[in-house]
Parts: sequence; structure tokens; C-alpha cells
Amino acid sequence: MISPFPPSSSRPGNGSLTAHLLPHSISALSKITFQYPLKLISPSPSANQKSVLVFLLTYGGGLVGGDQVLLNIDVKPKARLSIVTQGHTKVFKSTSRDIVTRQRLDVSIEMGAALCLLPDPVQPFEGSVYEQLQKFTLAGGASICLLDWVSAGRTARGENWDFHAWSGRNELWTASAKGEAGRMLLRDNIFLDGNLGSGKERLLKHRMQNMSIYGTLILNGPLMESLAAFFMSEFSGLPRIGARDFRSQANVDIDSEMKISRQESWRRDRLQLEKDDGLLWSAAKVRGCTVIKFGSRTVEGARVWIGSMLKEEGSISEHFGEEATMCVR
Amino acid sequence: MNNEADCSQSQAIENEIADLEQRLRAAKARLRHTPSEAVAASTPPSKLPHHDTLQPTATHFLFLLSDSALPLGSFAFSSGLESYLAHSRPNSSFPAFLTYSLSSYASTTLPFVLAAHRNPEKLAELDDTLDASIICTVGRRASVAQGRALLSIWERSFSGAVPGSPERSEAIRQLKEFALLLRNAASTASGELPAASAHLGPLFGAIAFIVGLERQETAYVFMLSHVKALLSAAVRASPGERGGAGGHPGRDPEGVGYEGGGCGAECSGDGLVGWET
Repeated sequence: MISPFPPSSSRPGNGSLTAHLLPHSISALSKITFQYPLKLISPSPSANQKSVLVFLLTYGGGLVGGDQVLLNIDVKPKARLSIVTQGHTKVFKSTSRDIVTRQRLDVSIEMGAALCLLPDPVQPFEGSVYEQLQKFTLAGGASICLLDWVSAGRTARGENWDFHAWSGRNELWTASAKGEAGRMLLRDNIFLDGNLGSGKERLLKHRMQNMSIYGTLILNGPLMESLAAFFMSEFSGLPRIGARDFRSQANVDIDSEMKISRQESWRRDRLQLEKDDGLLWSAAKVRGCTVIKFGSRTVEGARVWIGSMLKEEGSISEHFGEEATMCVR
Repeated sequence: MNNEADCSQSQAIENEIADLEQRLRAAKARLRHTPSEAVAASTPPSKLPHHDTLQPTATHFLFLLSDSALPLGSFAFSSGLESYLAHSRPNSSFPAFLTYSLSSYASTTLPFVLAAHRNPEKLAELDDTLDASIICTVGRRASVAQGRALLSIWERSFSGAVPGSPERSEAIRQLKEFALLLRNAASTASGELPAASAHLGPLFGAIAFIVGLERQETAYVFMLSHVKALLSAAVRASPGERGGAGGHPGRDPEGVGYEGGGCGAECSGDGLVGWET
């Protein structure tokens, strides 16, 4: 007997998400499909949610060598979508250097829509080969907050950037409109090769200068303006390279007893944390995008730092709801 | 019908081959009668790559582009060396940094140089893509400043000295168009996306193609200029320099290993001029 149903268009590792805006400004999913090893979960919606939340998961908690994931996301006009994970995205060992584990994300953010992608870090295990390609196409008035970070692996087991290769590319494009092709706003491309050239410095662990995590935060669009301005102003307020404290110990004590505002005390604590965790960061404006790069000696240090920055400024929770930041809390 | 079409097509290809062979023979004959070959044969082989394929004018431009006195302002940017030294004390090693920086430059900027050398007509597109790919603020500023300096050198001196050839004239026209686009972009500065930025990499590739440099030479000269810029940045960052004139270059034998013999003393006059902020 011939099946009355059309053949399935679903393929392994492929998924698709569409977020719509319902009346009363509630964002909701109108489409959610996925196939093993990709898994998507969305909690049941509530009336007062600021964005629709989706968990991006994989069966077994990680990607096995050679897995190919392709996720298409469409955020319809004025809808808001938040994507999070439930723990590190683990990338398991590939049996050979030619077997590449891939994740692709193709996102279209339409007029006035917004996407907040704040996942846990990718954790590539020893011997893994990973390639990630994320492309975001932004229509007029669209906003995006995108975090992409990678850790040194299972440091508790002594791994220290021991994977074969990790590469991640993030591209932001403007949507094509009325015969005009879309234009590239930003291309952030990182290649980390575990074993390069010759000599003592060939191993990645030497090149990473004791960092255990390295990440990039990209912001663009009207909803992100205040957060971007916040990062830029905090960055310009960082102590300059080689700056010294010329105050005597007595003056330092006097200054520390002075009444300071809550924000100043937050900043002082954060700077101390940055120093203790060896956290280095920079912020730059590139063609309308704000790009924040950071690295830290510990994964937890980086998580606390970025969480503290987002919480202090507050606009992510305001626009997308508290859940959107659950991976950086 | 089909057979006929195939027949005429293969006939056309055979004609083309015959034509090309004849042109090759003619070109070889001309080469045998040029005086430069006699000169090349009598001089000992040089260590420069592809020496035998160099035309006299190309050699001339090769020397100009590899000259450390080429006024591109590359001294203004330390390519992250200053930051590296500040964050890695006391374990800084200039040789290690040089390796990192070269490997990074070769995989981030060099491909744009080579792409522009291969397809000079894509100059504007490559420039735009590179502009979207350089994240570091200081690096962007330096790349654009050097690219504009190179473009003005091209306009003021190189362009008049390049021998005309049909395959290059198209590239020259593209370069002129690009310069015009750049000027218009500057006068109508609006929005966040510039029409043209003039980054060093693609312009270097396109100009190197026009003046007749081979691809390998172009890559070599481009990377060499990066090494030279890093070395001069290292000299300026050395403790002897920071301490002002009169510092001893070899004062700190166990410290950072970037002090070349006597370099600090030679350059101690110019202090920290042009250092990035």
C-alpha cells in the first residue's frame, strides 16, 4: 500500500524554528521541528513572557564525532526569541582528524524582531574536531545579542586545549531588500589549531597563555544600544596598560573608607574579580556592531564576569526575561 | 545535428591551439633577442625568488615596496605587541610573539592580499569584506591609514611609472574607480557602512599585480614588511627606550629577549613617537 503521507523532509541533525508575535505582544513558536541528534525544547508559554524561550540540546548531552547539526531559525517581525542550553555543549573525540563535527545555525531576524543567544560554552574534548558556522541576517530594526565561547575542555581531567581543531565563524548580514543584495556587517572567524608548525609554541595550550576560556559577545540593533554603550563605557574606564597606583597606603585606606555609590562599588569589585581571575577583555565598534572579546583563567570566572555585566546593565532581562540569561548566572 | 555542432566546436579548439602555439613561438623568439636575457645569464644567480621571471621594472618596484623607508606609517601600530608585553611579563618572548603574529597575519590578512593579486577587479569587494573582518579598533585604524598612504603613493608616483600593458590597464582602471569611490565615501560620510575603506591588504595585492610582482614575491614582501614593523615596535618597546635616552640596551639579560644588539642605542632619539594609545 502506498503511504498517503508526503515523504518526510526531516533529516538527521536538522531542525527548524519559527517565532511569531501573537496579539498582546506575546512571542510564541509557530514551528519547531528537529531530528536526532538535535533536540529542541520550549517550556509551555506563559501570558507574561517577554520572549519565547527555547533550549538547544543534543541527545546524550553532546555531539559525537562526525555529528552534523543544522538549525534554521526565523524570527518573524517584532517577535522575540531567546535560546539557551542546559550545560556545556560537549564535543566528543573524532576517530580521525578528517571526521569533522559541525554545527550550523542559519538565522533570519525580521523587521523589529530580536534574538538573544546566550548558551553555555562549547567544551571540545581531547581529540575532537569541531566546526561551527553561524549566520545571522538582520532586517531593518532587528536586534541580536550573541555569545559564542569555547573552553579548554575537561580541565578536571587535565585537558588543556587538547582538541585537534576548533573553528567558529559568526557572520552578520543585512537582509537584501528591493533588488539590493545583503551586505556583510561583520565576520568574526576563529581558528584554533591544536598542533601547528614546529617548536615549543606549536601546541595550542602554550599559545593560549593560561586562558581556560575564550569568548565573543556580539551586539547589534536598537534593543542592544544601551547594553553596547554600557560595555563601551566600562571598557574606556578600564585601567590603562602599565598604569600604576601612585597613592600612598594611607591615602588608599582613606579613599576606601569614603562613601561611594553602589555602581562605583560594583565596578571596584568587578575590577578586583577581573584581576583575580586573570580576565582580560576588550570592546570594539565595527560597522554598527559592538564586539566584546574576553578570556579568563577559569570558566567560572568568565561566567561570573559576563553575568555580572549583563545583570548590572539589566536590559537583556528587561527585553527578554530573566530566563534568557540563565546560562550566565 | 549534434555531431555537426561537436565537429565545428573541436575545429574551433584546434584552431585556437594552433594560434596559441604560434604566439608562444613568436614570444620565445622575441625573448631570445632581448638584451636583458644576456645580462641575466652573465650575472650569478640571485637568492631572490623567481629572479629569472622578473622584468627590470618589476624588480624596481619590488625594491621600492620592500624598502623600510616606504612611507606607509607602519611604525604607528605594534600589532598587539605592546599589549602582549604588558600581559605576559615576566615571561614575554619576542621570538614567540613574532611566530604567533606572523601565523595570525598570514591567515587573516595575507589571503586578502593574494585574492586581490589574483582578481584585482574584486578590489572593492575584498576591501569591504576585510573591513567587516578586522575587529580590533587600533588595527582597523592602522590598516586604513597604511592603505590610504599606499594609494596616495600609487597616485603620486607609481602610476606614472608603470609600463602600459593590456592586461594591467583593466586593473589600473579598477584602482582609479576605487580611489574615486573612496573620495566620494569620504565626502558623503553617512551611516555606519562605508562604501570603501582602503585597507592595506587588498590594495597592496592589487598594486603589486599592476607593477608586475609575482604572487609569491607579493606575499613575501607583504609578510616581510610585517616582520619589520614588529621589529621596530619591539625596539621602541625595549626597556632602554622606555627609560629614555641613555638606557643600556643589554641591561636586563634575563628579561625579555627582544633587544637586538645595539638597536636600542641607534634609535633612542625618537622615543615613543607614534605609539598607539
